[in-house]
Amino acid sequence: MQSFASVLDVSSGLLLRGLALTVAISIAAVLAGSVIGTVIGPILTYGGRLSALPFRVFVDVVRGTPVLVLILASYYMPAGLGISPGPIEAGVVALSIFCASHVGETLRGALVAIPPTQIDAGRSIGLTFPRMLWYVLLPQALRQIAPNFVNTAVEIVKASSLLSAIGVGELLLTTQEIVGRTFMTMEFYALAGALYLAVNLTIGAGGWWLERRFSAR
Amino acid sequence: MQPILAIKGLTKSFGPNVILRDVDFEVFPADVVAIIGSSGSGKTTLLRCIDLLEEFEAGEIRLDGEQLGYRSSGGRRVRLPGRQLAMQRAKIAMVFQSYNLFPHLTALGNVMIGLTRVQHKPKAEARAIAEAWLERVGLAERRDHHPSALSGGQQQRVAIARALAMEPRLLLLDEVTSALDPELVQEVLLTIRRLAEAGTTMLIVTHEMRFARQVSTRTVFMDQGGILEEGPPEVIFGSPKTARLAEFLANVSH
Repeated sequence: MQSFASVLDVSSGLLLRGLALTVAISIAAVLAGSVIGTVIGPILTYGGRLSALPFRVFVDVVRGTPVLVLILASYYMPAGLGISPGPIEAGVVALSIFCASHVGETLRGALVAIPPTQIDAGRSIGLTFPRMLWYVLLPQALRQIAPNFVNTAVEIVKASSLLSAIGVGELLLTTQEIVGRTFMTMEFYALAGALYLAVNLTIGAGGWWLERRFSAR
Repeated sequence: MQPILAIKGLTKSFGPNVILRDVDFEVFPADVVAIIGSSGSGKTTLLRCIDLLEEFEAGEIRLDGEQLGYRSSGGRRVRLPGRQLAMQRAKIAMVFQSYNLFPHLTALGNVMIGLTRVQHKPKAEARAIAEAWLERVGLAERRDHHPSALSGGQQQRVAIARALAMEPRLLLLDEVTSALDPELVQEVLLTIRRLAEAGTTMLIVTHEMRFARQVSTRTVFMDQGGILEEGPPEVIFGSPKTARLAEFLANVSH
């Protein structure tokens, strides 16, 4: 019978690689999703009914779809178009889409909540609309959604575990492999859970620090 | 002398409600025009039309001879595209009842944003101009504070500095003391009085009758979307010609 310590000693490299992949995929998805969401939010808010429509449909469809379905769709559906993405690429695309729709929708909510008198003031000074968006509206709205944004990032990290279903060797799949070899179910799932928790607590602490830094208003 | 602002036949409605009917009006350099009248008489809407914050159905507004907000194309009125509206708005400044400072920027940032993002001045120059204006409204030492850390009167003085730093041809003041605590009103009125004495051309919508009488070179009385009487303040306040103005003055004097 092997001891937990000796198994951990042998498999810690594997586990750390899984953790690193989880973190890397999550960061990529959050970055791409935030950039795309920051474009979608203003279009949903100020785009007018016609130009906002495709984005409205996109956001509602994505938000109404289970993340696992998004992941499977990103992995298997492009084959119909003759593209065959690797599991990591497909996974990052799926999580980015998920993140983009959430950021886009919360950003829309925050933009709508800015008093119209702010737009009056910006116009009165002579700001063009793009400049007003960039220097007046987005800074206020992004600050407003910062707490929500931490939640979205945490959701992404948790959702990245679903990528194990398409064979991405992230933290969960690595854990499953180790458990399959050693049958130390309790120990390694608990360890995986603790590692996810550590990542998410780090995100929470980072968010708290950012909020404190920018809370001067 | 050419007027800075010339308004002809300005008409504006919200749905079935006519807010401004056929307003004719001119403002000359260094004029300080006080606009008085009861709520709903169209005073604020008049200012908002001049600052191109509202569209209007008929009539024209000219600033130094240039038509604002619209151009004629084949006999039809067409609203100008956003970029041109922005360029025209930059020549007119407005101060609002509720200050409308940008909450994410400091006092200095609020005054600088138009200089850097509209007039494209270098940062150092913009900063020097903004600091000078904050100094003039007596807020030099509060420049690094955000609006939430300033009193209402201080916020309104930052808003005045933000407006004037753009060196506008015309300053529009929309009930700028109405949202202030009574003890903060005087500091803002004093600031405006100094600007008037320095020759700033302005249109002041106000409920402060004594102030209107003292500071204005011309007073306009608006009623039901039109200009009912206009003239020197001592005439408007001293010997009103219409019963409506006499009634209004009697109501506000106590």
